[in-house]
Amino acid sequence: MALSLLTMATWYIYAGGAVAAVFLTIGLGRLDENASDAWIFRPLLIPGVLLIWPLVLWRWRVLHRGENKLDRHRMPRAAQDRIALAFVCAIPLIIGIALISRQNPDALAPPVLLEAAK
Amino acid sequence: MAKEKDPFFVGWGKIPKDYKVFLISLTASIIAVFAILSYAISSTQSDPGDGALMGLTTAVGILQADPYPVLHVISSGRYQPGETIILSGGGKRGVVKRAAGFDGQVVRAAGVTMQRGDLNGMQLRSGKNGLRGDDTGADAFTVRVENLGRWRLTGEICDGKCLNGAMRPGRGLAHKACANLCLLGGVPPVFVSSAPVEGSEFLLMADANGKAVTEEILKFTATYVEIEGEVERRGELLIFKISPETIRLAQ
Repeated sequence: MALSLLTMATWYIYAGGAVAAVFLTIGLGRLDENASDAWIFRPLLIPGVLLIWPLVLWRWRVLHRGENKLDRHRMPRAAQDRIALAFVCAIPLIIGIALISRQNPDALAPPVLLEAAK
Repeated sequence: MAKEKDPFFVGWGKIPKDYKVFLISLTASIIAVFAILSYAISSTQSDPGDGALMGLTTAVGILQADPYPVLHVISSGRYQPGETIILSGGGKRGVVKRAAGFDGQVVRAAGVTMQRGDLNGMQLRSGKNGLRGDDTGADAFTVRVENLGRWRLTGEICDGKCLNGAMRPGRGLAHKACANLCLLGGVPPVFVSSAPVEGSEFLLMADANGKAVTEEILKFTATYVEIEGEVERRGELLIFKISPETIRLAQ
């Protein structure tokens, strides 16, 4: 299980590297004219692109098609109160369940001699 | 001009009267809630124990490479003759390869000592400064081996370096990833029993044949488990020769 997760994360980062290579050399200058011919800062964006490359691809597509209407925050904003409330409930719940379900060191069985040495 | 009912407040300005009571109450409540919460959560954590680093030392003794390298002390400024020391390397590494060529020989070991209860450990210095053959003619002795029978023990599988004082806490779920990295690096695994077995709660782990057992136990580190196996005393150290198929979660 852990190995599968690690393998998936590795390939995710590889894909992010590919997106970063293309976006930071070709895409960025086309999307933002202020970034044209400005190269020094671009390596600084690599770690971020590695992590959120699906979002980068989506925004690239939207901006390339001219669909940007500055309403991209509408959905998160509308749900923000409910999400905040969910977190307020979930965090104590998670801590509580963890404390209840964890193993109790005071209730461990003592050593048992099964068979004496011959 | 009508009184401003909802004055705009910025951090560097004077606090509006209407906000003063609210802000002071809120600040005091936040401090109180987090103080209570931090006390409540920390009070549920286990005592990290008395394991600690104890400074540099040197010991001459008989090296035993299996299941993991240990030193049976012949002479040392710190240890009594006959005491047994679990050996590890720098970082998250063991000294299995370095010790392999010295199995059964008298060696001089130097490094940082660690101690937790009656469990002795040493993080060897690098290269020959840390481990080399000893030709001073130290009086070697035969390491006493005693079979103590077959036991079912309940407790926790830890790595013998962090548990010994390299980390605080060096056990428990919060330490699981570190423990596994140490074990994968060759650090000897130590079983911490729920109660002393023949005088000691710490047992060096081995497989049923007395060889390294790291691969079989990685899934079970840092949780309380029940294991069956033979217990053997070698020098001052107990060896728990487990049957890996008997490992199961306790409770």
